[in-house]
Amino acid sequence: MADSLTAPKQRFLAPEARLAYLLLLPAVVVLVGFMIYPLVYVVLMSLSTTNRLGWLTHFAGLKNFLAVLGDGNFWRVTGRSLIWTALAVFVKMSLGMVIALLLNVEFPGRKVAHMLFIAPWASSVPISVLLWSWVYTPEFGLLNHTLRMLGLTGNPPVWLGYPISAFIAAIWVDIWIGVPFMALVFLAGMKSIPEDQYESAHIDGVNAVQKFAFITLPGIRHLVLVATLLSALWTFNDFNVIWILTAGGPVDTTDILITSIYKYAFVYLKFDQASVMAVVTFLILTGISAVYAKFYFAGERRS
Amino acid sequence: MSGSVAAWRSRGKPVAVALTVVLLLVMLFPFFVMITTMLRTSQEVYVSPPRWIPHIVTFRNFAIVWSQYQLLGYFKSSLVIGVGSTILNLLLSIPAAYAIARLRFAGRQLFLYLFLVVQMFSPVVVVISLFKTFSKLGLLDTYSGLVIINAVFTMAFSVWLLSGYFRSIPVEIEEAAFIDGATRSQTVIRIILPISAPGLVTTAIYTFISAWNEFLFALSFIQTQSKMPLTLGLYRFVGRWSSQWELLATADFLAIIPVLVLFYVIQQRLVAGLAGGAVKG
Repeated sequence: MADSLTAPKQRFLAPEARLAYLLLLPAVVVLVGFMIYPLVYVVLMSLSTTNRLGWLTHFAGLKNFLAVLGDGNFWRVTGRSLIWTALAVFVKMSLGMVIALLLNVEFPGRKVAHMLFIAPWASSVPISVLLWSWVYTPEFGLLNHTLRMLGLTGNPPVWLGYPISAFIAAIWVDIWIGVPFMALVFLAGMKSIPEDQYESAHIDGVNAVQKFAFITLPGIRHLVLVATLLSALWTFNDFNVIWILTAGGPVDTTDILITSIYKYAFVYLKFDQASVMAVVTFLILTGISAVYAKFYFAGERRS
Repeated sequence: MSGSVAAWRSRGKPVAVALTVVLLLVMLFPFFVMITTMLRTSQEVYVSPPRWIPHIVTFRNFAIVWSQYQLLGYFKSSLVIGVGSTILNLLLSIPAAYAIARLRFAGRQLFLYLFLVVQMFSPVVVVISLFKTFSKLGLLDTYSGLVIINAVFTMAFSVWLLSGYFRSIPVEIEEAAFIDGATRSQTVIRIILPISAPGLVTTAIYTFISAWNEFLFALSFIQTQSKMPLTLGLYRFVGRWSSQWELLATADFLAIIPVLVLFYVIQQRLVAGLAGGAVKG
């Protein structure tokens, strides 16, 4: 029986590989055509002089890179991208952790709360952002009214009118969208920690904070890492929130790398500079995703 | 000691519930704003100070967005793009996922890695040159263009999810079918695909939702009003008829409901797929 199964497998090894490549072919063709080729073309654009339609006119070497790297605006936008990512991911993790801990407590209505917490992630991002632009409206919007009524501030800002408040308003929307994913991942991790670990800790007289620090956190450490990297990728890449809410305004003060690329290409028609920023962005994102892949596979092996 | 646990249970639980309620109020605030706005007349949208609850509740906005603002057209576009992307995505990713899950060939690990990393590809990075590719291929301002690009950008995750499902099916089932004289394609169609139905549904819903929510490519490639999906249509709506927020809130509500429902079906499996082995779906 075992022989009859393994023998043909040995013989069919070559056809099996051929079948595999055949099955992978369509997927790989579209990946190359619509992702890899455009990426290579962006690299070519970054090394060339381009006209207003984005056509390559002639080879320019590193001229575009030097121009962009010598531009203060590029560094401001890159810095803002990093602050945007670090700050948003940090708040998403903290809030996500709090919500996961709450949902890990048994109380009536927990299932409903669980469903409701997911809503910002489940809803359509561009549509939600449109909604937020109404929420932030100064005079008639309900956010400022609510802040006043709760006595939190007597004089709430014109959120989208000034650089700092617009940046805070935008980053909060990004956080709001990203928190549920964090909470769900952390919660799934907490549920996978064996109950008896907590029970023996009870017997040893360990308090709640210690349990969190010595059982919960180490137990979900790997998941926290994977979720953080994934969230960092999504956050760095977030085009929709800023574009729809502020379009980078007022006067480009809320642009991050990703919206700047789009603006340089399709608004200013400076394709060469846009492509330099795109290459920089690609390198940053590839770095993060390589680390993510490494830890993802480490998790696969562990489980 | 057990006394302190009981004490925590009685004192801690109300605190947890209270904190949950506060956080829910914060997180659901925009949805509250949406619902209270869509149910009011335009006069009550522009009162200062604003009201949380309108004095007069009306459903008239639904009729207005439906009849006067081409919402039906945007819905149709989103549906065509969503369904088209989903079908194309499955046609591409099922064979690829099967190969990775079941067949032995040189470079298998490399492909697996490729599909994971490609998931992270930034649409913005390539959109500036895709524009040229699309104009050469005549895909600008067409449904086909958006269908292709949405299918491509969701494919890696689909391959990833599906190969996980295919791998979880015991090889013995397939081998038994082989012995009974079934060909490989018969085994896949009659055995593998039916068993992986939950995985296929998750993949299909995920692709549909992603295409439904897509904004950047539509913004870059679609010019004609009648071809705009909901995301782009409503974005332009704000630009064109800004300050009719009660209509926008109504349209938002209608646009969100389909994906909200679908998302709840797959959320648990989605988390497992994204975060990896440590989470069981």
